[in-house]
Amino acid sequence: MESLVKRWKSSQFTLWVVLLLLLLLITAPIFYAMLASFKTNMEIFNSPFSLPKSWNFDNYINAWNLGNFKQYFLNSAFITVGGMIIVALVACPAGYAFAQLSFKGSNLLFYLILLGMSLPVQAIIIPIFFQLKTMGLVNTLTGVTLVSSGLALPFSIFLMRNTFKDIPKELRESAAIDGAGEWRTFWSVILPLAKPGVVALLIFTFMNIWNDFLLPLVLLINQEKFTISLGLYSFQGEQTTNFGLIFGGTVISMIPSIIIYIIFQRSFVEGMTGGANK
Amino acid sequence: MNVYDSTSSLEIEQKKSLSIIKGRNKIKFKKMITIISFLLPALILYSIFMLYPMIDAVRFSFFDWDGAATSMNFVGIDNYVKLTDDKIFLKALGHNLLWVVLSLILMVIPTLILAVLISRVKKGKTFFRAGFYLPSVLSLAVVGVLWSKIYDPMMGPINVFLKSIGLENLAKNWLGEPYFVIPALVIASTWAFYGLYMILFLAGLQNVNSELYEAADLDGAGPIRKFWSITIPSLRNTLNVVISMVIINALKGFALIWIMTQGGPFYMSELVSTYVYKAAFSMNKVSYATAGSVVLGIIVIVFTIGFNYYRERSEN
Repeated sequence: MESLVKRWKSSQFTLWVVLLLLLLLITAPIFYAMLASFKTNMEIFNSPFSLPKSWNFDNYINAWNLGNFKQYFLNSAFITVGGMIIVALVACPAGYAFAQLSFKGSNLLFYLILLGMSLPVQAIIIPIFFQLKTMGLVNTLTGVTLVSSGLALPFSIFLMRNTFKDIPKELRESAAIDGAGEWRTFWSVILPLAKPGVVALLIFTFMNIWNDFLLPLVLLINQEKFTISLGLYSFQGEQTTNFGLIFGGTVISMIPSIIIYIIFQRSFVEGMTGGANK
Repeated sequence: MNVYDSTSSLEIEQKKSLSIIKGRNKIKFKKMITIISFLLPALILYSIFMLYPMIDAVRFSFFDWDGAATSMNFVGIDNYVKLTDDKIFLKALGHNLLWVVLSLILMVIPTLILAVLISRVKKGKTFFRAGFYLPSVLSLAVVGVLWSKIYDPMMGPINVFLKSIGLENLAKNWLGEPYFVIPALVIASTWAFYGLYMILFLAGLQNVNSELYEAADLDGAGPIRKFWSITIPSLRNTLNVVISMVIINALKGFALIWIMTQGGPFYMSELVSTYVYKAAFSMNKVSYATAGSVVLGIIVIVFTIGFNYYRERSEN
């Protein structure tokens, strides 16, 4: 018996060591970038794997000010927050209608929207560009916000429909007996119960829009309109050999997503498995 | 008198039932308005930015248009015929296939093994799950810039390391040599995407019947045997989902390639998406590029529908 416990303990220990080494190996590029962001070019070349000689924030300061990351950051924030608001306001009622209100053609309409979920953005990005051009919204943050929200809808409606499906229909019916209108029921009875789903939706939308590359690349032209992803891309093009500076910009770009991830880690995983298993 | 009476009562009856119907219609109408009010914003946004562009994409592809001219020339299926004759487009399509195969090899089984290992941990499962998911949180721009520096022939850590241990001849220009560029890109893309699949596998593993393992233990089955004859069959549904997602994502790939190689050197890492982007926005062959993107869209949608059909049939 005792030896069994010992064996179990030692096998758990081996597992831990193996996984820890694997984790270090896999996250090594992130640590490498973080360390390199404090180094000068000479240091990166001569001692790529060691700790920096001094914790020098020059690369961050230069990327932030001279590299325009301040502007990129604000642009990304505008597009992301705007997109989150639009997506939440539009996808929640629609998901609710598909989950709880029965109407003719609801399945057909839902499948039409699902079609957009499997469609690659690349297949429609060219017409989107020309459509935005006729609307006068090319090279504007508003344009990117609207397109990003539109493209996020299929998945968002799908996610919210699943969330609202889990809420028993009896609740809605008893609210209706009490004389509450459909919108009132939605706002004050159902939506509060769907809070975890709404949080998951907001996090997904944040990650998708904040991290997006293709839409800003196609729809934004002037550098002062660039998002952080697009800014980082053009920055590495300008500073091809200045590794330290590029890593400064890279680390600035990764910080917001990592912070959001650490705060909302739990609802992240739940939202993801919930969305994929249904 | 009598006759008059009866007709009037009939009329009253008719009026009554009519007003009931009207009332019902009114309620129905009101209900419809409510439902529309819930759906309308979504439908408008979806129509403007997805449905309409989808129709436009197909429409563009039948014309000859450079994106600037005021008139468009109808050319029928000319663009599609030209695509079948376009060596670079066909090469890009082939690279997409290679990308799919390499992604499947690198992503599915290794990620599953990782998930199995994590699921065996008694204490600290959440820590490992969160840690291994970290790369997936980063934007593709970050991943692309980071990995192009890692692969850098002069200053990149891979080559610096190889040189420092005396293996200079193994140091390559990873993104500059024809046979290395696509595998190098797929490794970076695997790093960026495996997290999602790991989470899906972990969720699937929770539903595997543990009694099966206990029975196998009694029979003296080793870990590899258990993996092939219990874990994999029990995870069939999850595996289906993961494999289809890996394939679809491989077909959709753009950002990493654009950031790291732009399809180079000499089209050696060109994918349909990068080729289409170049054709539309730097060569002004807008309608031709649209035809290429429609082909890609159709491949992805047909695959998705076919796969879902297969899955529904095999699950029932």
